[in-house]
Amino acid sequence: MSGKKLEPFTVVSIIGVSFAVLACAIPFWMIISGSFTSETELATTGYSLFPAAFDLTAYKMIFTGPAVLDAYFASVFITVVGTALSLAVTSGLSWVIARRLPGISRPLTVFAYLPMLFSGGLVPLYLLVTQYLKLQNSYFSVILPLLVMPFLVFVQVSAFRQLPESIFESAKIDGAGELRIFFTIAIPLSKPILAVVGLFYAVHYWNDWFMALLFIDDVHKFPLPLVLQNLISNISFTQMLPQLAEAATPVYQLRLALTAVTIGPILLAYPFAQRYFVKGITLGATKG
Amino acid sequence: MSTLQTRQEPQTRPPSGPPGRRRARRGPVRTSWTIGLLALPAVVFFLVFNYLPMAGLVVAFKQFDVNLGIFDSPWNGLENFAYFLESGDAARILFNTLFLNILFLIATLAAGMILAIMLNEIRSTFFKRVSQSVVFFPYFVSPVVISIILQVLLAGASGGGGAVNDALGGLGFPAVDWYTEPGPWPWILTVVKVWQLGGYLSVIFLAAITGIPEEVYEAGMIDGASRAQMAWRITLPLLKPTAAVLLVLGVGRIFYGDFGTIYAIVGDNGTLFDSTDVIDTYVFRALRQLGDFGTTAAVGLFQSVVGFILVLIAVLIQRKYSKETSIL
Amino acid sequence: MSHHIMSRRRLLATGGGLSLAALLAACSDDSQKPQSTGGAASGGALALSLLLPGDLPAGWDPVLAEVNKKLQADLGFTIKPQFIPWTSYGQQALLKFTAGEKFDTALQARWLNMTQLAASGSIVELSSLLSSGKYPNLAATIDPKIIELNRWSGKLYGLPQINSVARFHHFSIRQDLAEKLGMSDITDFAGLEKFWYDVKQKNKDIIPIGVSSRMPKLLVAWNPVGWLNPYMWDNPTMSIASFTGDSLNFVLAADGKQTGSSNPIPWWEAPGMVDALRKIRKYYQDGLINKNALTLDTKALDSQFKAGRVASSWAMTDGLSSTALPELTKNVPGAMIANVMPLKGGESAKPYQTFQSDNFVVLNAKGQSNEKAMQLQDWVSIKENHDLLNYGIAGKDWNPIGEDKYEKLSTYTFPGFALAWRAKLERRVKDMTESETKWFDWAQDINNFTIDPYASFVPDPEPIKRENTQVTAAMTQFANPLFIGAVDVDQGLDKLKKALDRAGLAKVQAEMAKQADAYLKGQ
Repeated sequence: MSGKKLEPFTVVSIIGVSFAVLACAIPFWMIISGSFTSETELATTGYSLFPAAFDLTAYKMIFTGPAVLDAYFASVFITVVGTALSLAVTSGLSWVIARRLPGISRPLTVFAYLPMLFSGGLVPLYLLVTQYLKLQNSYFSVILPLLVMPFLVFVQVSAFRQLPESIFESAKIDGAGELRIFFTIAIPLSKPILAVVGLFYAVHYWNDWFMALLFIDDVHKFPLPLVLQNLISNISFTQMLPQLAEAATPVYQLRLALTAVTIGPILLAYPFAQRYFVKGITLGATKG
Repeated sequence: MSTLQTRQEPQTRPPSGPPGRRRARRGPVRTSWTIGLLALPAVVFFLVFNYLPMAGLVVAFKQFDVNLGIFDSPWNGLENFAYFLESGDAARILFNTLFLNILFLIATLAAGMILAIMLNEIRSTFFKRVSQSVVFFPYFVSPVVISIILQVLLAGASGGGGAVNDALGGLGFPAVDWYTEPGPWPWILTVVKVWQLGGYLSVIFLAAITGIPEEVYEAGMIDGASRAQMAWRITLPLLKPTAAVLLVLGVGRIFYGDFGTIYAIVGDNGTLFDSTDVIDTYVFRALRQLGDFGTTAAVGLFQSVVGFILVLIAVLIQRKYSKETSIL
Repeated sequence: MSHHIMSRRRLLATGGGLSLAALLAACSDDSQKPQSTGGAASGGALALSLLLPGDLPAGWDPVLAEVNKKLQADLGFTIKPQFIPWTSYGQQALLKFTAGEKFDTALQARWLNMTQLAASGSIVELSSLLSSGKYPNLAATIDPKIIELNRWSGKLYGLPQINSVARFHHFSIRQDLAEKLGMSDITDFAGLEKFWYDVKQKNKDIIPIGVSSRMPKLLVAWNPVGWLNPYMWDNPTMSIASFTGDSLNFVLAADGKQTGSSNPIPWWEAPGMVDALRKIRKYYQDGLINKNALTLDTKALDSQFKAGRVASSWAMTDGLSSTALPELTKNVPGAMIANVMPLKGGESAKPYQTFQSDNFVVLNAKGQSNEKAMQLQDWVSIKENHDLLNYGIAGKDWNPIGEDKYEKLSTYTFPGFALAWRAKLERRVKDMTESETKWFDWAQDINNFTIDPYASFVPDPEPIKRENTQVTAAMTQFANPLFIGAVDVDQGLDKLKKALDRAGLAKVQAEMAKQADAYLKGQ
């Protein structure tokens, strides 16, 4: 096999991917570089490809702000516990739907899909969580309302359905029950999709500030995105709002720095998830 | 035991899938009680956090009163729906909503799929890993920051010039006042959406590609297929089920504009509304000073019902042409 | 076997149905029986819950501890403020009112949901509490005339929070540029116009007039004057009213009091308006106004001003224009700022003023204790307490300079307008410029103004809610581009009028006439 020879399609792919990488990496670099550039410079040029006037004001503002460490802890807790719970609950449901059980799978599909379309709105959810479940100021008030995303259920269902049926048949002939098939066969075979769904849940929890805004009023329990959201939203509201004699806030720089602070941990965590869905793929390519 | 008979009825439908799947339909009956346990937590979740609060939709038919709350406010029939549907703008806004979202849906799915297939061709593990991480990153950039970057590109930091206009000038074209010119905006927003979501969606497709057994490619190679042919004949068809699911899911949400991104970028810039105003942005602007949960709920319900109808149609079409990929 | 499925399903179905019914029942009778949720138990240690907008002030914990220590000693209760991000404040506050939460005070305003809350009885009418004589400090620090003018149809729904008696927007300009151009003392609109054109000519990189996306509606037909409307600066005696902040502005008859007829006309029919549009169109085309005015946010514009990229920006008589100075001089050595109020007749112009406060503290009708909430408002009206909340801990966050000035030492910033702004107690920043001092002083004296004949007229949008939302949408789409000069005046105005007609202008106008006439009759 001429393993070294590059086929035209591979060349096109390399060029295509390189282009995509540049389209994402340049703004990424502009954000990182901008977050270290002084506000004056940014207000003049709008961006900087290299921090000509190096400046840490925004980062100082973020990290000396009240309760940033608490916020990191809250976010990590919500993300880790939330992702684990979500993954477990979603996998269970997805599996039952994927099995195409007569009289069960199809109603469940509709049942899980409708919430994607219909929502009771803010007020009932608020009443439910604060007055009936009494979850205010608990991290679970952020986790539970976001526990299952129908979208990811269906992503997982379609992945489960691609598993070869024959394995389950033979397992059944060997006398394995449904639960055992699920835990010992389906789950281990589905690591790539579990990694993807887990990653998406993690991202979802990590980015959420709205549930926290609704249900958490103890500032020491604010997750990171809510703290950041506060900083961002304070810098633009309405003309009716009286100005305050506030210290100079680096608006442009702060927004860029906040982006960097949010993305950082996810970029660190990404390779761990990536392991699972890269491994399989390389096979198809390296043998070519 | 008559129930047993009726329950087993579905089997009598003509089988569509491969033989293995037909057998699967019969098999689980024996053990379905335990399998129910797996779905139970999710079922409870949906009941408590989604279906119970849906009772709150009644407020769409009520004259909302803060003091009385959503359940005790007086009824007012369809009045809450009227302000939107009877507005002279409804037709244009509905068109924009559909047009933009179809554009976004198709463009992002195509971009995700193409990107995944291309990534799959990369042999250097290092390059593959790095490029995957990098293309995923835009998903995290908040719309506010996207808006800043766009302003720098299209208008310059202080409202004159901009990188794109500089480039146009270099090529001998006249500069464009992008922020007062509605024409190009559907395409600008589509580019933004593709940038935002292309990498995110490519991860889903990559995971699907991972599931493709190695032997399939080996067989293809023995037949002397080029890599392009294999991508076209093997990978792409196997990604179809995933794409179909994502498409149907997307169709249901087609009446929800992408409020966050569009509003952060267009904001209250009326000159661009002709091509960018969608239901969500219109409603937000019209109602932000009224604080009326009734009318908000009415619009939401309208979007849901229309979305529901569209999904039904999509599912029916899908079942007709490709039963295998149907989510139902 | 398969009846397992059935029973399972039936169980789930009935279970779901039951709990749904239970919740519905619970929800519907909830509003009748008082149920204590959240908040402190009455009796023992009472903590008043307050809704405040914005981010947690830097160094808040020690300030709160100090406040609570004093409060406990003075009045026997404490406070527990919740800070809600600005962009979500309106919605969150409304949500908490709707859910029947038992917080005690909140920031409200007409530009939030105050009319709606007043109409539904969710906030307390304060007349009797205020006249009880139990709150002497409060009475002493809010001018009774201001209280009177902030009554809506005779009812007082909130305590006005102001740091100057009159609010009058104007210009904050780069005085150093003006001096370089030989215009050291600009006093009228013609002078400003010359300044902008000269700046444009001499400084390619500086935007003469900085406009942000929140400003278009302020530029032409606005109360008390349109910011870029020379006719109104010359004749600052036009009464303007709208149902909601972003809706259509009507100009009301000046002789309404005599004739009893308010005769509201859409703003463009009033004198000077269309001329102003044409002038602004020219400014826009000549490059005096930033091209991204409809998208640039307020704070980004502010940042550009401080970077020296903008020659004139929006200012208010709140004594805060000068706070841009330290940052500006750091970036542009030698920069100076002056406040320009281009009123014809200057300080003796006696322009119209409604004295309507932009911000109010309201009392939640379902709060734990309205009496104590009033005591708190009284308590923050004592200079020492006022200073503690607004400026932080003396010596650490700020230093007093004399009786009425201060110097900031930390970044502590408290949203005083949501709890503790008292015009008579506010301290000025140390470096207030001479011109700002002049206009700030001017704005503290009611006698420098003519009370707008429609001063406390607050129209109620409820009867024409549907039309009003559509009118508002049309205004944002067609009027804002017109206001900043981004579109041709005749075409733009034509489009606007057509859109407004479709949206129900006639009905809105008739309702405005009805309510304004009723107001005149009640005077």
